[in-house]
Order: sequence, then structure tokens, then C-alpha cells
Amino acid sequence: MNVDIQSLGTFNQLAHEGAQQATQSLAQMTGIDAVVDVTKITLLDRADVGDDLTGAEFVGVQFGFEGALEGETVLVFDRDSADTIADSLMPGASDDPAMAQSSVEEIGNIMMSGFIDGWADYLDSTIDHSPPEYIERSGADVLPDAPEPDEHQQVFVFKSEIEWVGESVNFYIYMLPEYDPLAEMMMEHGDTDGDAIPIDKLQTFNEMTTSGTQQAAGNVEMMTGIPTTAEVTEISFAPIEDVPKQIGTDTYVGTVVEFTGTPSGYLMVLFDEVSAVNVAEAMMPVEVEGDGVTDQHKAAIEELGNIMTSGFVDGWANVLQTSVDHTPPRLVHDMGRSIVDPLAAQVGQHQEHAFIINSTMRTDDIEFNAEIHALPNEKELREALEDLDVERADETDADVEQIFE
Amino acid sequence: MPDVLIADDSEFMRNLLREILEEDHTIVGEVENGVEAVEVYKEETPDLVMMDIVMPIRDGIEATDEIKSSNPDANVIMCTSVGQEEKMKEAVKAGADGYITKPFQKPSVIEAIEDVVPS
Repeated sequence: MNVDIQSLGTFNQLAHEGAQQATQSLAQMTGIDAVVDVTKITLLDRADVGDDLTGAEFVGVQFGFEGALEGETVLVFDRDSADTIADSLMPGASDDPAMAQSSVEEIGNIMMSGFIDGWADYLDSTIDHSPPEYIERSGADVLPDAPEPDEHQQVFVFKSEIEWVGESVNFYIYMLPEYDPLAEMMMEHGDTDGDAIPIDKLQTFNEMTTSGTQQAAGNVEMMTGIPTTAEVTEISFAPIEDVPKQIGTDTYVGTVVEFTGTPSGYLMVLFDEVSAVNVAEAMMPVEVEGDGVTDQHKAAIEELGNIMTSGFVDGWANVLQTSVDHTPPRLVHDMGRSIVDPLAAQVGQHQEHAFIINSTMRTDDIEFNAEIHALPNEKELREALEDLDVERADETDADVEQIFE
Repeated sequence: MPDVLIADDSEFMRNLLREILEEDHTIVGEVENGVEAVEVYKEETPDLVMMDIVMPIRDGIEATDEIKSSNPDANVIMCTSVGQEEKMKEAVKAGADGYITKPFQKPSVIEAIEDVVPS
């Protein structure tokens, strides 16, 4: 089943415009000034959807929709923002739980109608949605129909992040369409002769990337002695100018490499500063002198980034029966967006949209989070997927002893 | 004690290898790229080269190829984070005698050296 890049771009644009429409409705009704920060389509394991919401309390509205497109969509506010919105609609509403709930339901209904209507107009069809269902839950539980923990199924998710201007508050719109109707619709609305992506193979590639993340996590564990777990692995698709926004404004220490072969592109291994210090010190046999991120920490991070990069991309090369070379790691210590900006600019010389491969890993023993972001050349990723033999997908490891016999 | 040349662009990794090896080996040099590896090899003719693959200026496979061309009896162990089958085949073609993937632990390094340069 093939989907062309143009239609992926169009659907991303539809979701973005729908989110803008919803945001305008919010502004008209409440006077709250908000902008849609980023919209992306992500292919990931259903069990990982909403993982980035962990640790916060949310209020939202959920709708089922059916017709030209089927699935669920959710508008999510954090608890305090919901109260502010309720009071903006009707002063004092947040003090009356029933009124607060009704306010959120109503604004959610209006916002999300605008979101869905844009899709129906584009598809020249109708999409009906159910009445809004008010939800009040923690973390990813705010999203509909969480699967059983051992149930693994890859899904496409459209996510828009809406930023409340001047406030450190974000809202989210998640759209979780049923996979098969969406894939069929993408095929119908695309020109698959030219730049088609075989999306079934994209799923396989995502699974290979999960394996690469596990390898990289294993490398961290071996170098530090700290049990490390691979967490979310996803492939998202967004306009190239939105790529830096996805990495955010936190400061990171890490490495950047350019990889060449099929595919080529850039790969970043990033640690927040506390994690960088913790993991570097776990790698070193002697105590480090000095505060913050020292040169010794950076040297350790540089080598760890190098090894994690190899762990991450070697599986691609082995499955594709090719080689993926990479440059020596370049150490970076900067704001996330500043690290990604020049890389996105390079990739953007050849393409308007980008696939971004994102992985995270963590450990419970110390404060440690690591992110791997790959930004492949879209044309070469497409070629790699065309060459991908799905039957070889689990052959990510090379047999050194056999080769050196 | 066997003489060893360490070629790796990472200071961290050179230090780690030195700590593992210096008890039973003589470290004759530590270099950061393939060009220096070839130069120091020709000056020192060590018993063994521990060679990284991904290095600036000249990579470890090219350096191995030149060292082996100048001295087919040279012993080179690739010591690299790269775990790709095609790269390993390139290393074999260049004449590498062994291959250790990072991250490694001391026993695997010593075992690989014993295979190539028996004590």
C-alpha cells in the first residue's frame, strides 16, 4: 500500500488548518490569544500514544467520528487552563463543577467541529461526530481506548500543539483515525506514481528503529552499568520548518553526525544537562572535578553518542544489506531548536517536508533521559523502503565471528 | 610485552583502551586519525594496532589497507562502534585480523588480542 509524499503533506496541512480553525474559535469565545505551534503526523505503537502527557492532569473533550474518515479525536487542556477557559466564557464558572464541565464541553464542541469540518470539505464528503464526551484523567489515560499493555499495533496519529501566547501552557488536539480507512483514503487522494512511500514498509522500518533504540539503550547500560530502557520510537512527518519546534527550547548536550548511504541524513543523540552529567560520571572511573558540564563530561558524552549512533543505524544497514557511514560525532551543547535549525536547513534544500525518527530512553536508577532524532533525506528513505525486504526485518545484528572465520 | 598502537579519535576511548592494555602491553602511541595511524605504524612497527573505523581525515579501514599493503604481517584489530556486516566485510578485505565492537569489556579485548597476537 503506497502513499505519496504530497498527500501526506496535504493531510498534515488539513490537520494544521483544522487546529488553526479550532484555535480561532477559542480566541473568539474567550479572548485567549493562542497559536498552533506544530502539527505532525506520527506513526507509532498505539501503546505509546500520549506518552508525552505523562505526569500531568488533563481535562478534555472526546468525540468519535465516522463517515469518510473514522476514529476518535480529543482536545486536551491541562486542569488550570480549563478553569481559566471556563471563567473566560462565564465568570465564576470554574467554581461550579457542573458549569465548568459544561463550559469545556461547549468550547470543545465548537473547536472540534471546526477541526473536523475542514477534513470533510477537503474529502468532499461528510464526517459525522458524536456528542462531546467530557473527560478528566491523568497523562495518556485522557486519550481514548488505551490498549492492553501487551497489545502492539502501529497507528497514525495527527497531533497539533497549541501554545497559549505569553503563558507556559499548551493545549493538544489528537486525532486517532482507524488505520485502514485512513490508508485507503490516502491512497485515493494521492498520486502514487512519483514519490510514493510504501507505508506498510514504513511500519517495518519503525520496528527496525525500535530494535536500534534497544541496541543503543543496551550500549548505554554496558558503558554505565545502569539498566536503561528503550521507550517510545516513532516516525513523524511534518513541514521542514516545523522540525526544530519539535525538539523544543530546553538545553541539550549531545552529538550530531551526518550519515551517508541509503538513507543519508543527520542523527542527533541528545541528553538534558543533568542527564549528561549523570551518565558521563557513570562512565568514568574517577570523580570529575568542577561544576556543570565539564570537558571530561563532554568527552564521555561524545564517545557515548558515537556508540549510540552506531547502535541505532547499524540495524538499518544490516537489514538493507548496505552500509551506512557516518562522520565522527560533533559535540553540541545548546538549545534544542538551535541544534536542529542548521540540520533542518540543510535537509530543506531538497525537500519541503521531513520524516523525523524519534526515540527516547530512560533509566530509573538516576535522573537520565536520552533522545535520538534522525532526519533522513526523504528521497533516499523512500528508496531504502523500496529496497527493504520485510522478511529480513529482524536481521539487524551482524555475525562478527562468521565474517572473520 | 607486545607493543600496541591505539588509533581512535575519542580521547575517552583512548584512555579506556590504555587502562585496559597498559598492564600487559607497551603502548607505543596514541593517534586520532588514519593518517597518523599509518605514520606512527611505519615509525614504530608495533606488534598490534587497535584501530577505530570512524575517524576524521582518514578512516580506519583505509589506514588498515595501507598498513597491510606495506606490511602484510602487521596485526590490526578493528575496535569500533560500527556493527554493520558490510563494514566488517570491508575490514576483512582491508586485511583486519579481528573486530571488537564498542562498547566492550576488558575480557573481550584481551581475548581478541590473544587470538591475533598469542602471548
